Amino acid sequence: MTERLTGHGSEWRDANLSPTEAKIATSWVELKVDKRSMLTNKDRVKDVRDAMWQLEKDGEIVVHRVADEHQPMMVKTLYGWDKKIPTTRLWHHKSCGQCGNIPGYPASLLWLMNRMNIEYLDETDQTSCTAWNYHGSGIGNLESLAAVFLRNFHQAYVAAQAQGLPAGYYFPLVHCGTSFGNYKEVRAYLLHSAKLRERVRTILGKLGRLVDGKLLIPEEVVHYSEWLHVMRERIAGMREIDCSGIRATIHPACHVYKMVPEDAIYDDSVMGGNRLANSTGLMQSLGAQVIDYSTWYDCCGFGFRHIISEREFTRSFAIDRKIRVAVEEAHADVMIGHDTGCITTLDKNQWIGKAAGKAVELAVLADCQFAALVCGAHPYKIVQSHWHASPIETLMDKLGIDWEAKKAEFVAYLEQIKSGKPENLYDPRRMITSGPGYIPLKSLS
Amino acid sequence: MSHGPGTRVQKHIGDPVGGEPPLPRAKLEEIFADIQSDLRFDHELNGCLNCGICTATCPAAHYYDFSPREIVQLLWTENLEGIYDAMQEKIWACAQCYTCAARCPFGNSPGGLIMLMRETAIKHQMKSAKDVLRPFSRVMLKLISTGNQLSPDMINKEHFADWGPNISKVEAPLKLLRKAIPMPTLNTTATAWEVNLKTSIELYTIWEMTGVLKQLEGIDENLFDVITDIMDEKREDWKDFLADQEESND
Repeated sequence: MTERLTGHGSEWRDANLSPTEAKIATSWVELKVDKRSMLTNKDRVKDVRDAMWQLEKDGEIVVHRVADEHQPMMVKTLYGWDKKIPTTRLWHHKSCGQCGNIPGYPASLLWLMNRMNIEYLDETDQTSCTAWNYHGSGIGNLESLAAVFLRNFHQAYVAAQAQGLPAGYYFPLVHCGTSFGNYKEVRAYLLHSAKLRERVRTILGKLGRLVDGKLLIPEEVVHYSEWLHVMRERIAGMREIDCSGIRATIHPACHVYKMVPEDAIYDDSVMGGNRLANSTGLMQSLGAQVIDYSTWYDCCGFGFRHIISEREFTRSFAIDRKIRVAVEEAHADVMIGHDTGCITTLDKNQWIGKAAGKAVELAVLADCQFAALVCGAHPYKIVQSHWHASPIETLMDKLGIDWEAKKAEFVAYLEQIKSGKPENLYDPRRMITSGPGYIPLKSLS
Repeated sequence: MSHGPGTRVQKHIGDPVGGEPPLPRAKLEEIFADIQSDLRFDHELNGCLNCGICTATCPAAHYYDFSPREIVQLLWTENLEGIYDAMQEKIWACAQCYTCAARCPFGNSPGGLIMLMRETAIKHQMKSAKDVLRPFSRVMLKLISTGNQLSPDMINKEHFADWGPNISKVEAPLKLLRKAIPMPTLNTTATAWEVNLKTSIELYTIWEMTGVLKQLEGIDENLFDVITDIMDEKREDWKDFLADQEESND
């Protein structure tokens, strides 16, 4: 046997295993990596909601409850804990990246809700979570993130009063994966640290956003993909287009299930409980084939800062570790995600691959966009697929959707609304709940 | 003995053999104290056996001279010179995916610790932070002045040439395409959604009271000036609105 320089020291010897033997020898790695035990094998994990209820009991905070009126459904999280998912009376906490860049993402979600008669409010009184900027630049801090979290969630709590309804009527539904992860992390620090609570209480007090002089903490922080998960059978019941021939790969979003992993949903009926249930469960219920692939655990390459100013990293990672693997290994027709940055990264960074001789193409959609599409939503008016750079048209061909005819309809619609009013998913007068432009309830009725 | 241009390590922490460190020990201690005093530090650093799971699973480690294991080790062993050195470049490689945190058997959060180091680099107005964040200023202007990070008018072929020709596959003016989105809050071009004036005013209070504006001033004074001008204008608008309200109530 010849000596080789391997970087592992002079004791290293080549085992000369055949490919089959090598596979057997390393199979334990896959067994471990592909199981959720990799995440659960930890000490010191506590349910922060216990601390939350105690603080409320001690008179320190008020908890915004997921009440019966929100028609909650229960799910199990990583450690088998219960999580309550409200299914109606929802306050949409929008995502800046989705609304700015992939508007069919929230529009598809609201369209599905309209089809199911779900009550909701989409209003102008909200900021983004500001965490994209924070993770990218380091401008911001725990206090600013906490204050933004509490301000936005307080607005969700009081928003219904503008419609003459009681406080707590709406429960916030967070659209962005980073907002979801960041808010949960911040919630945990708020519950752990009296000092942080004291600092932000001063700020929230100045903003007039305390409840009985106390901080308002939501009982659950809920991501829209969790709502889709609990509603998946009802959504499947609305399906109009057969998608059983579609091979779908899922990209689970890091900030949805790696940040505060104990709060992510796992369901034994979805991939044996070894993958995040969100999106996978929905796609299975819709009848698509969910295909596993070896780099399912990798991030998309978004990087927060990198997508803006260091895109060589972003596009290399997106192409080499995600899109190419999904195409060549899983022979996928689509990659489905549930977060703003991932959809942007995976969708927009395929074209440049041609310049580096890495031409791979794959349709990329958010779970709710795919669901809306197969439930009969207009591919341009609702799903807004024209904002996607990836080949959604190829996917639509496979689904039997005459996208050229739909596109022509949309172009005609654009002509029509140049001087006329556009079609909306809700009454636009409801979107302003205070300040300039606010129309009081009696005028609305 | 004459020295050439020197290595990056020599440039930032001095010649490890004979040179003087560019920063006095007290300054290095101050920087570490700022990282360590954040209440998240003790939650995010619990120990380290150098197992390297974090680095094995790290996307940035595929492409950069960056290892979350190294960052954790520097902090765990309180290697002040090494910490300072890592703050010159390495900490900006992290993609903030938190895969390292999900995988660490100790429950460390290397990605979270990186954020504490980035915040500290900004607080100390390090050149590395200024250099790295210069291309990020458009985003910071948008976020701090409007509360939205990304707006439709930022996505164009000049800024995102590598995204290809299909910013939209339907050719039409941006304003018209945005009008065709069936959510009225999204019929905007300069912000991702229409932001209530009161919301902006509240956000400015948060920025001021949490020291974010001070952070910004230290990193980019020009940007700070532009943003404070915008804030002043919006505050004037809000005052005018309140005065009008009072008048109409009388």
